[in-house]
Amino acid sequence: MTTRAPKDFREFLAAIRTSGDLLEVHDEVDWDQELPGLGRLSCERNGPAFLFDKIKDYSPGWRLVTNPIANWRRMAVAFGLPADSHIKRLYETYAAREAKPIPPVVVKDGPCKEVVIPADKADLFDLPVPMVHDGDGGRYVGTWDLVVSKDAKSNWVNWGMYRFMIHNEKLMTGFPRPTSHLGKMLLEGYVPQAKPMPIAIAMGCDPLSHLAAAATFRLGGNEADLAGGLRERAVELVKCETSDLLVPASAEVVIEAEVYPDRVNQEGPYGEYPGYRSGEMGNAICARVTAITQRRDPIWTLDTTGFMDSSATSTSITGAIAIQRRLEANNIPVKAVYVPPEGGIHLAIVSVQRGGAEVAQKIVNVLTVRRALISKVIVVDADVDVFNMPAVLHALATKCHPANGIHVVRYQGKANTLTPAYTQAERQTRSGASVALDSTWPPEWPADETPVRATLDSMYSPDVQKRVLARWNGLGLA
Amino acid sequence: MEKAYETFLRDRARALSGAEVVLTLRDLTPGRRKYRGVNARCVVSSPPRAGEPLLWIRSVVGTREATACSVRIVEELPESFPAVPYSDFFEAMARAERR
Repeated sequence: MTTRAPKDFREFLAAIRTSGDLLEVHDEVDWDQELPGLGRLSCERNGPAFLFDKIKDYSPGWRLVTNPIANWRRMAVAFGLPADSHIKRLYETYAAREAKPIPPVVVKDGPCKEVVIPADKADLFDLPVPMVHDGDGGRYVGTWDLVVSKDAKSNWVNWGMYRFMIHNEKLMTGFPRPTSHLGKMLLEGYVPQAKPMPIAIAMGCDPLSHLAAAATFRLGGNEADLAGGLRERAVELVKCETSDLLVPASAEVVIEAEVYPDRVNQEGPYGEYPGYRSGEMGNAICARVTAITQRRDPIWTLDTTGFMDSSATSTSITGAIAIQRRLEANNIPVKAVYVPPEGGIHLAIVSVQRGGAEVAQKIVNVLTVRRALISKVIVVDADVDVFNMPAVLHALATKCHPANGIHVVRYQGKANTLTPAYTQAERQTRSGASVALDSTWPPEWPADETPVRATLDSMYSPDVQKRVLARWNGLGLA
Repeated sequence: MEKAYETFLRDRARALSGAEVVLTLRDLTPGRRKYRGVNARCVVSSPPRAGEPLLWIRSVVGTREATACSVRIVEELPESFPAVPYSDFFEAMARAERR
């Protein structure tokens, strides 16, 4: 059964409670590693989301939810689909709704304005921000957030999901990459004019708005429109207290701030979505709080980043669809794309109607033009189901020539500094490489010499296949 | 409980030279403000000196050293350093140190 996507975070919580994917914890839990540790373990064991209602050092009015959509069941519920929907259906749903954006509507008031705390009274330590991992550089506000920023020269509004760390009561440091949309806006629009850049960090919006914020989306595109499309109804936005930025009115908490055009401070290290803490610290941005607004009984949200976190499932969908669109726009005969969440957003599987060295090289070139988040692409023939990882591994192991099938592109200034394989020197210069592992048959091989797969559907006559399947079913095998 | 801080270092030898250095310290005092940052001109001692707060050194990937040093805060510094966003923070601290 399909229902409407939840209109806000609380409706989403009610839905995953009903589907059996939310576990409520009433005992007091420590925000300092213990609570995030439970969330972490749940990611690693495909467990539930947690709702904690008693957080050490914080008043009972605060609650906290971990890893809202870190598995496919909760992602399905976020789309209004049955929790047991197949990944393919989630991909198809995203692709269909992405193509029908719905602009947001502006409202005068909203739940996120129930409590307004001005700059002089704002204190980041009043928020139950967890220490996510032992050894992180500090406490991270932005693990599952929606950061709003606006281009200095146009009407382009960006929603992104970026990490922000508390330095003191009013100061945060953050690491939206310099190649991110926010980084681009800051460096090209505000820094040259020595102007502070307003931002708003919204926590606890409806899950598809966060998904839109995390999405790999085109430069100049407004993710609020994308979120409306994904939800199949407009997002309601309300104006910030200290800037003209608009934030989802249903947010649980909004931190308004200004990014300095001329100041830095320590940020990181942080245990990130690739599943490691890689030492990417020392090159960040610095923001000062200008106001905090929140609900009266707010719910903080946390993505205990690492292996199989919420960003893994989010980018699995949004990254794959973005890759497919980009390859299609570059006339690559792509059939399907899958970004397996187990790959920490470093691996993509691309099936093509016609493969070979030229196509594989073109794929890796196209995917690294502006920035390079994916470092490995397995290219398979169209008869391999990209969602069937055993079949993909079989193709890679058997069809990828160990020398001729490896197609590398190297780059500087746009590498993913979170890639654990890179040296500290590569991280500092943002140097790196991506590779296509061509697991297709070379198109120049004649058909009568191309190996034939030894499976029922390839190496048996249609008549035998029919008889085998009939007998299989007759034996009561599914 | 003894007062304690932690700091993240790219150049460990510089911090342990015995000279005044600029560091970002994280206050490890339990409670709501745990991990609050403070930028300071300070002197690090190893082994730790009696009466000084402990200082745990962590690497750029957050790995903590097995034993603590101690730290004497000479002067608290402003909460941020002048530099263009995305500039190397360790270089910004080194510039502050030379002033």
